[in-house]
Amino acid sequence: MSLLEVFGDSFARRALLEAVMVGGLCGAVGVHVLLRRLPFFTMALGHATFPGVVLAALLGISLFAGAAAFGAVVVVVVALLGARDRVDDTSAVGVTLSGAFALGVLLLSAQAGFSRDLTAYLVGSIITVQVGDLVTTALVGAAVLAALAALHKELVLGAFDRGGLAALGYPVLALDVVLLLLIEATVVTSIPAVGTILAVALIVAPAATARLWTERLRATMALAAVLGATSGVVGLAISLQWRVAAGATIVLVAAALFAVSLVVAPRHGLLARRPAALVPVAATTTAAGQGPTRAG
Amino acid sequence: MNLFEPFSIPYMQRALAEVLVLGALAGAVGVLVVLRRLAFVGDALTHTVFPGVVIAHLLGRSLMAGALAFGVLTAVLLTGLGSHRRVGDDAALAILLTSFFSLGVVLISRTRGFTADLTVFLFGRVLAIDRTDLVQTLVVAAVVALVLAVLHKELVLRAFDPEAAAAMGYRTRRLDLVLNLLIALVVVAAVEAVGTVLVIALIVVPAAAARLLADRVAAMTALACLLGAAGGWLGLAISYEVSVDHDLRLAAGATIVVVLVGLFLVAAAVAPLRRRLARDRVPAVAP
Repeated sequence: MSLLEVFGDSFARRALLEAVMVGGLCGAVGVHVLLRRLPFFTMALGHATFPGVVLAALLGISLFAGAAAFGAVVVVVVALLGARDRVDDTSAVGVTLSGAFALGVLLLSAQAGFSRDLTAYLVGSIITVQVGDLVTTALVGAAVLAALAALHKELVLGAFDRGGLAALGYPVLALDVVLLLLIEATVVTSIPAVGTILAVALIVAPAATARLWTERLRATMALAAVLGATSGVVGLAISLQWRVAAGATIVLVAAALFAVSLVVAPRHGLLARRPAALVPVAATTTAAGQGPTRAG
Repeated sequence: MNLFEPFSIPYMQRALAEVLVLGALAGAVGVLVVLRRLAFVGDALTHTVFPGVVIAHLLGRSLMAGALAFGVLTAVLLTGLGSHRRVGDDAALAILLTSFFSLGVVLISRTRGFTADLTVFLFGRVLAIDRTDLVQTLVVAAVVALVLAVLHKELVLRAFDPEAAAAMGYRTRRLDLVLNLLIALVVVAAVEAVGTVLVIALIVVPAAAARLLADRVAAMTALACLLGAAGGWLGLAISYEVSVDHDLRLAAGATIVVVLVGLFLVAAAVAPLRRRLARDRVPAVAP
């Protein structure tokens, strides 16, 4: 039975469409996340939207709206905490992450008889996406990609040379906040597909993989989007075929692509020939849990 | 509110003993985590032990053994996770974390009662701790405290001045591995009882608060242990009080985290005052 035959049913076709859109969007945004070294922040954002989702579920309003509102609060809190000289960014993110997540659990537990299953929210439930989710994903995705394209030059300059950006008269802080909000929109949009905990994987892994294959930024973004969409489709097919959790399978496919690229990529792979000066580089593959491999 | 009355019940006593030990343990390790900015590593470890727990569960073995195996595996991988030019260590960490976690989710999604198991792993069951859990936690705490006491000087030096540590002949890689293993041990000791979210909070939040209030590492460590234990106690008491007397169920683990974050916010509010007072006397430590 071919892997593609599993997409025969309408729920599977909806899931396929969602996987392609979310994968592509996450891949493109992920390049910016990596340039600014924001994977941990992205991770925290996923966790921190949890109380928003719980509140929205309790109030019966859109989960998207709840998650997005809380995510925006977290963007501000992390920015404020990180601005204090005694709290480094990592700790600020750690505190925000655990605090916000616990708040969600607390709200949830306070609700006697509240039985709505939020596990789907944590690890994704792409099989059950509705047409409404697809429309939301398409709209948000188009808006995020349009913003990234429009601000491409400024965002890239900001990632590499903040001083230069400020000297050119751009509002650096405003651009930072815009980027963080774009990341937040992406995380919130991917939640139905892969869930809050694993959204960061779909953002980071394809982008990190693409960076191993190409040096040019636009090419990296395009490749990351393709890799993200591919991970989505392949992971979904595997999960439908063997009846395992879809979101997690998608993540494992993305991680496997990264692991393979880490070894075989032409210039940056571990097998590529490299000048002797760069030899002491240790890196690790992930999905299969192999031990660290030494380059050279 | 009564801070002592709820703890006349045996299961509350066990829960209290567990969170006091864990709070102190995590606080002590957390200071090094915060000084080294390893919060993400701690978070990663809480997720990467998941497949170990699942496999042990499926094989009917001790969950702690499974978690320990994967904790050690991750600690070793994280230490080897050097600086590949094109892959930042944070990106590699994120991929490692999510792929291990996914492996656990995929494995457990084949079984029945999948969502219930996942919820316990994430949020723990601090009120259902038995004597065995408590003994395990105590053993781990003793081991971690011993290692911290023996290697304190080296670990702190590594945190503040890695070049000097290397120049003095210390194997910094080995020290990093030791710290990662210590974090893994705390996670393993705590995860079955209190869940991943609470573990990372116990490690990072009291230490971050202590760092706001203390300049010396020893004072910071003492304060972090104290805050961690106090947060645990207060959280349990509040959760019990509200649940029993006001009929509003508050999950114990989550209440502890919220109390810890509250303590952190108080510390953040007090810190500028304290430093204004102290500025004339003591030069602040700059890591």
